[in-house]
Amino acid sequence: MTNILGIETSCDETAASVVINGKTIASNVVASQIDLHAQYGGVFPELASRAHVEAISAVVDQAMLDAGMGIEKLDAIAVTRGPGLVGSLLVGINYAKGLALAANKPLLGINHLEGHVYSLWLTEQHREIVFPVLVLIVSGGHTELLLMTDHGKYERLGGTLDDAAGEAFDKIGRILGLPFPGGPNIERVAAQGSPASYNFPRAKRDQSYDFSFSGLKTAVMREATVMPSADARRARGTETKAQLRSGISVSDVAASFQQALVEALVEKTARATKAYNVTEILLAGGVSANQALRKAMRKETELPVRYPPLNLCTDNAAMIATAGYYRFEAGLRSDWDMEVIPMWPLTSDAYETT
Amino acid sequence: MPILRDGELDIISHSVEQTRRLGTRLGSLLRAGDIICLSGDMGAGKTAFAAGVGKGWGAKTPLTSPTFNLIHEHVREKDKQRLFHLDCYRLENALDAENIGLDDVLNGRGPVIFEWPEHIESILPKERLWVELRILETTRRNFIFNAVGKRYEELVKQFRESTFGV
Repeated sequence: MTNILGIETSCDETAASVVINGKTIASNVVASQIDLHAQYGGVFPELASRAHVEAISAVVDQAMLDAGMGIEKLDAIAVTRGPGLVGSLLVGINYAKGLALAANKPLLGINHLEGHVYSLWLTEQHREIVFPVLVLIVSGGHTELLLMTDHGKYERLGGTLDDAAGEAFDKIGRILGLPFPGGPNIERVAAQGSPASYNFPRAKRDQSYDFSFSGLKTAVMREATVMPSADARRARGTETKAQLRSGISVSDVAASFQQALVEALVEKTARATKAYNVTEILLAGGVSANQALRKAMRKETELPVRYPPLNLCTDNAAMIATAGYYRFEAGLRSDWDMEVIPMWPLTSDAYETT
Repeated sequence: MPILRDGELDIISHSVEQTRRLGTRLGSLLRAGDIICLSGDMGAGKTAFAAGVGKGWGAKTPLTSPTFNLIHEHVREKDKQRLFHLDCYRLENALDAENIGLDDVLNGRGPVIFEWPEHIESILPKERLWVELRILETTRRNFIFNAVGKRYEELVKQFRESTFGV
């Protein structure tokens, strides 16, 4: 039995988890900061790292307690090293280093995106994943389409040129006056609206595998908000923010926006499955929790579509422990003095980074 | 293009593509330590302009929205110089700025682009190029350049010459 403790603090969740043999979740503890940041409409870095500092010790203790094992039973400690907020990442890395040093356990620095990929290894375990597979990571900070040919072997086919998919949800949520985070709240109101109400642009209709959501964002703003008058704008220093158009149906706008965004994701992913002859499609990241995306993806392709259960879509440490397991098995270890890597695209190099 | 005074410039962009091209011109003129502040509402074109700047400067990876991660660091092939791209929307004070490593990006290793700079204006260096982006209609945007300091007046002059030939 190989027991890996995973620790994740790259953004606004303090999480720890013990995973056995890369597939059995022995514990999975997440201290969410959503309530803390919701009042501000986004994650605030200072608040986030302070909250991580306050929570980390209790979260790790709880994960060990739930798993029913002591630190001595661990084979390694895996921790998110990037990408993410520097202050937040440091809390997790420093804690993991202290723990690993005190208990004399190997340390594994994990790429957060690779963690999301490995959340899929915790799903549908009766059906083994056969390479090559296509991975679509869609979250607040990332929109990446990857071809995965083996453990740790990634080819980046494309990604967003401007806003990430989850970021587009957050920003449109803010425009529509919905609570943070935007994703689940837009999905909720979209269920009451008609996706055919507005024909928002499906950006980047080209042969690349890149995405662009800022044009969609601007188009939604144009439909749903009114700009202040030209006179008001010309006067410097006055309120120039756009206001929600009166009488507009928030549900219809949300549903139409969601449809446009989902279609762009599905179209490019489906096209890539044909070009690369993959065995299945893996969806990961917070936006993979979106039911409209899951449904549209299943409809568009005949390949199996795999996605994590809701608690593994958003940031968690079970995925970090699982990614850690495969690194551990491959004989990879990180150095004691490893540093955070705030910008760290997921490529095959990521796997070699120790 | 009314010429206001040295270091000021008032331009209209008619499309996202044009906004990006303007950014590219500016990017090609940047030096390590230059500070570019892009101020404007959501959808005004800050990230599109920044993407152009990155292209003109020679960034290896395309510039995308830094909203989620707050800070993006880019590198260019020819001299391994860095370019920093920050979103200050969620920064409120000096402590926040310290937390994301602002000191580290302002130490002259490369040019720095700030989106939502007004959120941390009090702790930004006084000398800088401030660009205000205003939404006019559909795809039209108004850019007002305002240079503070000799270096930035020179930068705006070069930008004007390369863009308009005057």
